[in-house]
Amino acid sequence: MTGKILAVAQNTFRESVRDKVLYVLLFFAATAILGSKALGWISIGQDIKIVKDISLSAISVFGVLIAIFVGTNLVYKEVDKRTIYTILSRPLHRFEFILGKYLGLAALLGVVTISMAVVAAAYVLTLGGTVDTTFAIAVALTYVELLLITAFSVLLSTAASPILGALVVFSIYVVGHATNILIDLPPHFDDTFARRVMELVYYILPNLSNLNVRAEAANEVAVAWAYVGWATAYGLFYTAVVLALAALAFEDKDV
Amino acid sequence: MPTPVIDIDSLTKVYPRQIGQPARRSLDDLRLRIGENEIFGFLGQNGAGKTTTIKILCSLLRPTKGAASVCGHDVRTRAARSCIGYLPENPYFYEYLTPRETIDFYGRLQGLDKATRAREWDALSERLDLRGIGAQRIRGFSKGMRQRLGFAVALVGDPPVLILDEPMSGLDPLGRRMIRELILSLRAAGKTIFFSSHVLGDVEQICDRVGILVEGRLRTQGRIDELLNRRNEQVELVVSGLSAETADALARDALHARRSEAGLHLTTADAAAANAMARAALSEGGQIVEFTPIRESLEAYFVKEQAS
Ligand SMILES: Nc1ncnc2c1ncn2[C@@H]1O[C@H](COP(=O)(O)OP(=O)(O)O)[C@@H](O)[C@H]1O
Ligand SMILES: [Mg+2]
Repeated sequence: MTGKILAVAQNTFRESVRDKVLYVLLFFAATAILGSKALGWISIGQDIKIVKDISLSAISVFGVLIAIFVGTNLVYKEVDKRTIYTILSRPLHRFEFILGKYLGLAALLGVVTISMAVVAAAYVLTLGGTVDTTFAIAVALTYVELLLITAFSVLLSTAASPILGALVVFSIYVVGHATNILIDLPPHFDDTFARRVMELVYYILPNLSNLNVRAEAANEVAVAWAYVGWATAYGLFYTAVVLALAALAFEDKDV
Repeated sequence: MPTPVIDIDSLTKVYPRQIGQPARRSLDDLRLRIGENEIFGFLGQNGAGKTTTIKILCSLLRPTKGAASVCGHDVRTRAARSCIGYLPENPYFYEYLTPRETIDFYGRLQGLDKATRAREWDALSERLDLRGIGAQRIRGFSKGMRQRLGFAVALVGDPPVLILDEPMSGLDPLGRRMIRELILSLRAAGKTIFFSSHVLGDVEQICDRVGILVEGRLRTQGRIDELLNRRNEQVELVVSGLSAETADALARDALHARRSEAGLHLTTADAAAANAMARAALSEGGQIVEFTPIRESLEAYFVKEQAS
């Protein structure tokens, strides 16, 4: 079973590496990281902090954009280009296919995240700063966030066009970082239908700020390992649920 | 029939309603059984429902009603899929891979180990003439090259049943012949072959049995010679060297008569009548130049079936 998943994953990795969108986004990410010093000069003595803050945010934002643009195409493209016919007619489970597609992109995002982090860290060091554990934790939790966003992208990819999928997943990302706005509503929303919908969304959507310790990393404040463990488990559990939904949505789909 | 290798039991497929399109019943209560080592030709015009049937057999589509099995396994199971080699209507593969990598990929999906996959490549590249292009990317391939690769992919893992969707469409005469010979050699190797086509010539030459699909319903099925009712077919007799009176007498008894360079052409209702007429001609000093059963072609039959 793992051999088949791996075969799909390796191919997906190979294919995604060829995607031009990847390089456009990586270019912007590098520009953001290396250009962050420009914002640092206004606040003398703060530049390392700002470089770290902007770099970590760039890893998150551009990683998410890659996860969305590549991810929402993953399954859709296979159906659209009909490469899926000869694959799903083989003796493999449909969930193995979904998992393989997912893992291929997850592996690519791993490489992308590490590359961006290495560039950011090297830049911080050349500016005379230090790279501590919290920085590494912030990068790792950002990767967990990317894993979750990728799962949402794959889910949407089984059911919707890439454009619609990208819009939905991007909304999930934005709202997921500010879930409190869903329940901190002005009083005149009390007892309205809208409020109940918002509350429902609040409970369904992942709280992505749980995976955000970028401010701590910028300020070089330690993060408890217990928190890191809990946040990772939270992110991975959510990811597993979303992937299971994707597999379920795909199981009986006509292709 | 002994236990069928492919058993299609009242399959119905209704494509759900889409924007701008009503729901569509593309397959209606299809029942078919294909025996071991048979070549079955699945005929129908474009839009008749051939691809829909094949996609259900390969578990790409779920039927609205009914069920089907291959080698005794329900088509929704992996066990059924591991018995099937499938060639889609126009096979599409990852364009950035080479044929060699493609065969390896499908070998992995089939669960073959590395050594077996290498052997598969050796055997299949030889059989389908892919050696020379083994290291080229598929991107620039012609229709014929793609079809050969598609066949190779279908044969990965040596499945006992081959399901081929329009395997000869879009190929040049040489390509068609290659596919025809390949199908015959697969039958000789004990495979069961189910293939769809709207090209009757191809079917007529190699199939044991055919089924004709019209607008999602099976119109007829059977052995080609039975369908075409060849037992009481007309015969055309060409005789020469007869006197004018004898010729006139024979012409009166025939269904049709005409003269040509070759002699007198006489059409009779069946072989017995033709034999009687031949005896009469010979006893009058004539010569039999030709004795030709007039076979109804599958094409003529098909046109008749479509029209009715
Ligand atoms: N995905 C689909 N959605 C809606 N209708 C479809 C779909 N696929 C095929 N059809 C319709 O079903 C009918 C049968 O199609 P198909 O099985 O492809 O026929 P064939 O292979 O015999 O040419 C056609 O009328 C076609 O328009
Ligand atoms: Mg078709």
